Amino acid sequence: MSSITEYRSGGMGWRWAGRIFLVFLLGFTIMPMAWMLITSLKTGFAAMQYPPQWWPTEPTLDNYWRLLDPSGSVGQDFLRYFWNSMWVSVVTTVLAVAVAVPAAYAFSRFRFPGRTFLFFAVLLRNMFPAVVFLVPLFILMRVLGLVNTHGSLILTYLTFGLPLAIWLLKGFYDNIPIQLEQAARIDGATRFQAFFLIVMPLSTPGIIATSIYSFIGAWNEYIYAYTFLTRHDQMTLPVGIQRFFSENATDWPGLMAATFLMSIPVVVLFLVLQRYFVRALTEGAVKH
Amino acid sequence: MSTGQAIFRDVPDPPAPKRPSLGSRLVKSRTDYLYVAPAILVMLVVIAYPIYYTIELSFFNTPASLALSEKQFNGLDNYVTILTSSIFWKVTWQTIIWTVVSTLFAFLLGLGAALALHREFAGRALLRGLLLIPWVVSAVAASYVWKWLYHSDFGAIGALMVQLGVTDQPINFLDNTTTSLYSLIVVNVWKEFSFAMIMLMAGLQTVPDTLLRAAQVDGASPWQRFWHVTWPHLSSVSTVTVLLLVVQNFNSFIIPFIMTGGGPVGSTQIWITHIYELAFLRQRWGVGAAYAVLLFIIMMTLGYFYVRALTRGDDQRAGA
Repeated sequence: MSSITEYRSGGMGWRWAGRIFLVFLLGFTIMPMAWMLITSLKTGFAAMQYPPQWWPTEPTLDNYWRLLDPSGSVGQDFLRYFWNSMWVSVVTTVLAVAVAVPAAYAFSRFRFPGRTFLFFAVLLRNMFPAVVFLVPLFILMRVLGLVNTHGSLILTYLTFGLPLAIWLLKGFYDNIPIQLEQAARIDGATRFQAFFLIVMPLSTPGIIATSIYSFIGAWNEYIYAYTFLTRHDQMTLPVGIQRFFSENATDWPGLMAATFLMSIPVVVLFLVLQRYFVRALTEGAVKH
Repeated sequence: MSTGQAIFRDVPDPPAPKRPSLGSRLVKSRTDYLYVAPAILVMLVVIAYPIYYTIELSFFNTPASLALSEKQFNGLDNYVTILTSSIFWKVTWQTIIWTVVSTLFAFLLGLGAALALHREFAGRALLRGLLLIPWVVSAVAASYVWKWLYHSDFGAIGALMVQLGVTDQPINFLDNTTTSLYSLIVVNVWKEFSFAMIMLMAGLQTVPDTLLRAAQVDGASPWQRFWHVTWPHLSSVSTVTVLLLVVQNFNSFIIPFIMTGGGPVGSTQIWITHIYELAFLRQRWGVGAAYAVLLFIIMMTLGYFYVRALTRGDDQRAGA
């Protein structure tokens, strides 16, 4: 029973231990998501039963119709929050890529004074918790006149995403042989052309990975959105759904339907593009 | 060998190539800065200013309204208040438990998953994707789902434990000071173990197959192969992963904030939720800022190790 890759994982015993562990882990991972979905298919009455209905006796999509119906007040609010989240996340992502690409390229290729210091400074941003920056940033946003605008969120999210984005992309540029650019330069390309025509296409997977990361970060952010936006037509989903359901008695099936809809864009995006993300992390994390 | 060296002993070292002055290097590389300028500018505005502001505020007694013209300098009073309060030590201890236990289990589950997924098999990419879902969904969604799973009357976990005969009655996970913190840790581990998994999967790819095969040929057991070949190759990525997990856990906010709000009786209060409560709910801005400064110091210490682990060997790579 010896396979080619047996040296990687040991013998049959270890392989079975690995399989059992994975099954256990998959159960642990999926169970809450499954319960989210099952609960969202119940009526409020069916959800409030003990012992719980492990599968709803009368499954219903009413909770979803209510959230997605633009003529109802619940649906109106939900769709507005959804749109706000989408707008903020897309703009953040586009800007993050536009800023991170040249910076990462410079960190990878050039040796300018202060390079190491600046690189550290960028990375250190990741070390600070959002809450610590809340008050000063709130005051800053007031000075800039950005309170209650999506601009305040976009500017803040940009700085969350940038450090990892730059780091991931730098890993990609490090692995693109400099000779490719030099050859292009010899053939008469400017530095800019060499970058755009040679380096950019080769780093597309890195740019995709960076975009996913920025998008997910912005889509899921809660604390700043909770603090910077007080007008409810501006709110993003993570804050918005809280406003919906916890005021009186919590409508658990409605809340679960909302969280499920909120999770769909990021989960789908991630599952479709995960190989880029995994590869980018591999290049960035390991080649050091 | 030694005589050969002796011959050259009196020959002076060639003069070191003269390092260009800082000024000329700055001028020479001025166009390089254009590439990083946008990133640095954004970071300066959104990082440097808040840090300066927080440090300043930590030395002042501030009115609840945060009308800063009325703030009064009070030296180190805010720091003394923090370090002499009994709640500081309680919250710090809870933060340590939260951080250490979360990091340990997230790392171990992630390592196990990475090892089990290292071998090629049908459906491996799908499985990896499914395991990554908790890391991708928002912490807000995760907090609500788990709050519902833990619900004292209708929660699925409590009901399941009764049906399986583990307990007679559903356990009240979140409203109980002995179980609340650990119940939240489970959620946190659920949320972040796959981050460790993906980092370590990347790390495993650097383990040379030839070495593992050679070890196998030499009769090393699977455990010996792991311990003497695989694990040493994982040390640098493991260091980065653990440091990132520690930082992330120390800075956690959403899970305790949404699920318990720090309660019951402060049993799930950790540093960040405590800072939030001091500043935003009790308007003690100065004390909150002093807490933040202490946090800076801890984070900078961790940050030093993080950057060192991350940039190990970075400067060996040749640049243009």
